[in-house]
Amino acid sequence: MEIKFIIIITVALFFIALVQLMKIYDLAAKVRGEKSQEKLSRSENLLMANLMLVFMAAFFGFIIWLISKYGSNSGLYQAASAHGKDIDDLLMINWYIILPVFFITNALLFGFSWKYYYREERKALYYPHNNKLEAIWTIVPAIALAFIVIYGLMTWNKIMYNQEKGEVVEVYAYQFGWIVRYSGVDNTLGKADYKMVSSSNPLGVITEKTIQDTYIEIDQRVNDIDSILSSNINADGEYLLPEKKVDKLQEEFDRLKRRKYRIEASIDRKDNNSVAYESSNDDIVVQEIHLVKDQPYTFKFRSKDVIHCPWFPHFRAQINAVPGMETSFALTPTITTKEMRANPDVQKHWENINVIHNERKRKIGEPEERVLFDYVLMCNKICGAGHSNMQLKVIVETQQEFNQWIENNGDKKRLTFSGQEVNWSKTKSQASL
Amino acid sequence: MSHDTHHHHKESFITKYIFSQDHKMIARQYLITAIFMGAIGIALSALFRLKLGWPDDKFPILESILGSDAAPDGLLDSNWYLGLVTLHGTIMVFFVLTGGLSGTFSNLLIPLQVGARDMASGLLNMISYWLFFLSSVLMAASLFIETGPAMAGWTVYPPLSVLAEFQPGSGLGMTLWLLSMTVFIASSLLGGINYIVTILNLRTKGMSMTRLPLTIWAFFITAILGVLSFPVLLSAAVLLLMDRSFGTSFYMSDIVTSSGALDATGGSPILYEHLFWFLGHPEVYIILLPALGMTSEIISTCSRKPIFGYRAMIGSMLAIGFLSFIVWGHHMFLTGMNPFLGGVFTFTTLLIAIPSAVKAFNFITTIWKGNVMMTPAMMFCIGAVSTFISGGVTGIILADSALDISQHDTYFVVGHFHIVMGMTAILGMFAGIYHYFPKLFSKMMNIRMGMAHFWITIVCGYGVFLPMHFLGEGGLPRRYYENTNFPMFDHFLDLNILISIFASVGVLAQVIFFFNFFYSVFRGPKASQNPWNANSLEWTTPVEHVHGNWIGEIPTVYRWPYDYSKPGKDKDFVPQNIPLDDNEEEH
Repeated sequence: MEIKFIIIITVALFFIALVQLMKIYDLAAKVRGEKSQEKLSRSENLLMANLMLVFMAAFFGFIIWLISKYGSNSGLYQAASAHGKDIDDLLMINWYIILPVFFITNALLFGFSWKYYYREERKALYYPHNNKLEAIWTIVPAIALAFIVIYGLMTWNKIMYNQEKGEVVEVYAYQFGWIVRYSGVDNTLGKADYKMVSSSNPLGVITEKTIQDTYIEIDQRVNDIDSILSSNINADGEYLLPEKKVDKLQEEFDRLKRRKYRIEASIDRKDNNSVAYESSNDDIVVQEIHLVKDQPYTFKFRSKDVIHCPWFPHFRAQINAVPGMETSFALTPTITTKEMRANPDVQKHWENINVIHNERKRKIGEPEERVLFDYVLMCNKICGAGHSNMQLKVIVETQQEFNQWIENNGDKKRLTFSGQEVNWSKTKSQASL
Repeated sequence: MSHDTHHHHKESFITKYIFSQDHKMIARQYLITAIFMGAIGIALSALFRLKLGWPDDKFPILESILGSDAAPDGLLDSNWYLGLVTLHGTIMVFFVLTGGLSGTFSNLLIPLQVGARDMASGLLNMISYWLFFLSSVLMAASLFIETGPAMAGWTVYPPLSVLAEFQPGSGLGMTLWLLSMTVFIASSLLGGINYIVTILNLRTKGMSMTRLPLTIWAFFITAILGVLSFPVLLSAAVLLLMDRSFGTSFYMSDIVTSSGALDATGGSPILYEHLFWFLGHPEVYIILLPALGMTSEIISTCSRKPIFGYRAMIGSMLAIGFLSFIVWGHHMFLTGMNPFLGGVFTFTTLLIAIPSAVKAFNFITTIWKGNVMMTPAMMFCIGAVSTFISGGVTGIILADSALDISQHDTYFVVGHFHIVMGMTAILGMFAGIYHYFPKLFSKMMNIRMGMAHFWITIVCGYGVFLPMHFLGEGGLPRRYYENTNFPMFDHFLDLNILISIFASVGVLAQVIFFFNFFYSVFRGPKASQNPWNANSLEWTTPVEHVHGNWIGEIPTVYRWPYDYSKPGKDKDFVPQNIPLDDNEEEH
């Protein structure tokens, strides 16, 4: 409290001092016979004009410094996916067009401001328009932009209309993390529905068993609420619980009933269950994304709660995950994690990162560690308090390493797509939600 | 006639200073409200920049300013971080650069420059201001509630903004946000209609549309954009309000919360995005055009040279205004929209670069062979043209749907729009304040402080936003509470410190402006009638404000407002109300 008071007093005194200084300044100006501050003196005008040049030099210098330090080494290196290379090439072409325009126009702006500073004896050129000039700087940008548009749209179409269907992998986004599901041998994800989502079935996958489990879960909760309400009622039929709590319980009760009804009506179709829900039998849920080099993948995204945006920076790939809507994109990783780590540029960069990383760790008193390059999935759409820490490791490897990983993961053995039946109830425990 | 009688009528304090219907007083009210909102808006940015620059340090000042809920032990809470980001964006975009910029200068300059006694409807104008004031109070008030202000980003996308379960700010804070914005939209519509009617109907004799100063053209197009697009935001806000409070599901479908699946089906958050950005993109030009309009006027006046390509300037503003309605999809390339539609939006967006390039080249040509008076206003205009170019060129990258895949929502975007829209508009607004201060308050601002203010602002502005492009190229997403969760971003630690230092200095430098402004309002030297030797009609009015603007007849206009340094004239300026000589060509 005292500190606040002192701060307020200091600020107030500072302003009073400023006002007094201004008064003195004004008086002094009057004594010197200067005519207020309406007009700039010649020397001031020249000073400001010169400062324009100084500023331009500093401005360009700053950008060149930034480009030399971060331009070629932004931390994302070369794109690690097939389509990513197209994006990087397009970006480079854009920079080659944009940077000269940027430097030239800014140089003209500051240069003219400097060169033509005010002198009373000079008269400006009366030059209201010149149709030829205006036509030139309408047509020239139009041609440059036509090139950018055509090249850009060709790249866009190439990426978006990529018809090759890869191995289907689902990423399910929630506050604040990701669940990954491989589609298995049949390369088809088992159906899922948000109404089926529960703690034991975090993805809401539909199988005959999960439908029955959901019913049991709902019925249990319904009974629980029923017993809470009926045991807290007095002889007059009034609840002994706070009104808010009763309302909340009743609302939940109604909602559970409705949910069960909706599952019965829209999901639990006895006639086609066995066919429609079979494809989930070989699906498998994992903690890390493992991808095989040069194998095309089709990622499918769903969201549990709010809009998220899965972002694979190294693959130059992202798309929103929107509740109520499935989105997807295709990507083919082209560089394994090991190859990336062996790249001398990456090694040098990560040496530096280790130094900075551990400097910080020492400062905040955490144990030092060695950090290595890894591909990563992160969230790129504001989604709440944990937005900045929705990370999932992505590993790109060879087919042998991939098989090895499956071998070493016990129950996930059946991921070898041998056609063996996978027990959903066993794999689901892998997802710790 | 009736004005002459009004004129001698003694007004009470309340009708003169508070519920005034005089456009000049309303302009002052808008400006001062916007300056206070601006102070809040940029102060918030300085606070969250502390967290981003020094992620592990404790700043007791945060706790003393924001309270112990928001910053326990001086460490900013992650929800509150998003709250500060959200309010910073909302306040700067709507309250400072829409309400403040258009509200102040449209009100001040439209009647003065077209030669009208006042706005078409003084009453609507007054209501418009007081609604703006009310909405400002509501928005600022949301900072003081326990669960914090709206936290879903200034775009407040559902479902995040719908349920308090997703983030605490989506409770009362979001309700206040929606109420405030609803009132704000009403204010902005009343203002906009008034501006349009005044410009179309109340021009003085001889003031044809092609003799209007470019400021008026800019305000005119801005008002049209606002009137056409703000109602769409209103509908978006009303539907959001219904989803939040009345159980509808316009924007909600297939959502699971911790208490299980919600009932909502059939809605789509993408609908909200379409509605929001249908305003959101024209909004960029609602912010930019007034700043560019004033820049045209000031650059011409201070270069003592006619604006180059007057008709091309009008044409490019019209083109920008029209195109701004068909580009909103470029904010949504990654929502899973049809790739064909993405291609269409890429094409229309890149088209905007053409009229923008024309404007930039015309500004530069106006300075060429001019006689440039480096007043603070002129320097701010040079700065605004520079940021318009620097931010504009990176827009070409973001407009490209294919490139957007790797740039979307990274710091590249933050750097881009802060330079092209934020800085250009705020520099243009400062230019307007320095230039028109003699008309606003009949006093002069201190030139030297203005110069210092300019240099620190432009250096810090570029110092903050240029490096952000490189953070974005490194893949760093925006709106991250901390960047330390990913070791791959560790090499940006020092760059973030640099940005935060520039930001802190830049924000503190605004004290110079704040002081200069209020000192000059009360103690500044008295202005002369036409201190910048300008041509347009506002400089023919008396120094002290009079009701009805001109004592006696409204001047008749004989020429365009850009006859600077015209050959065959003694002086380097010829005001609009001076008749043409025999044999003199108009221009």
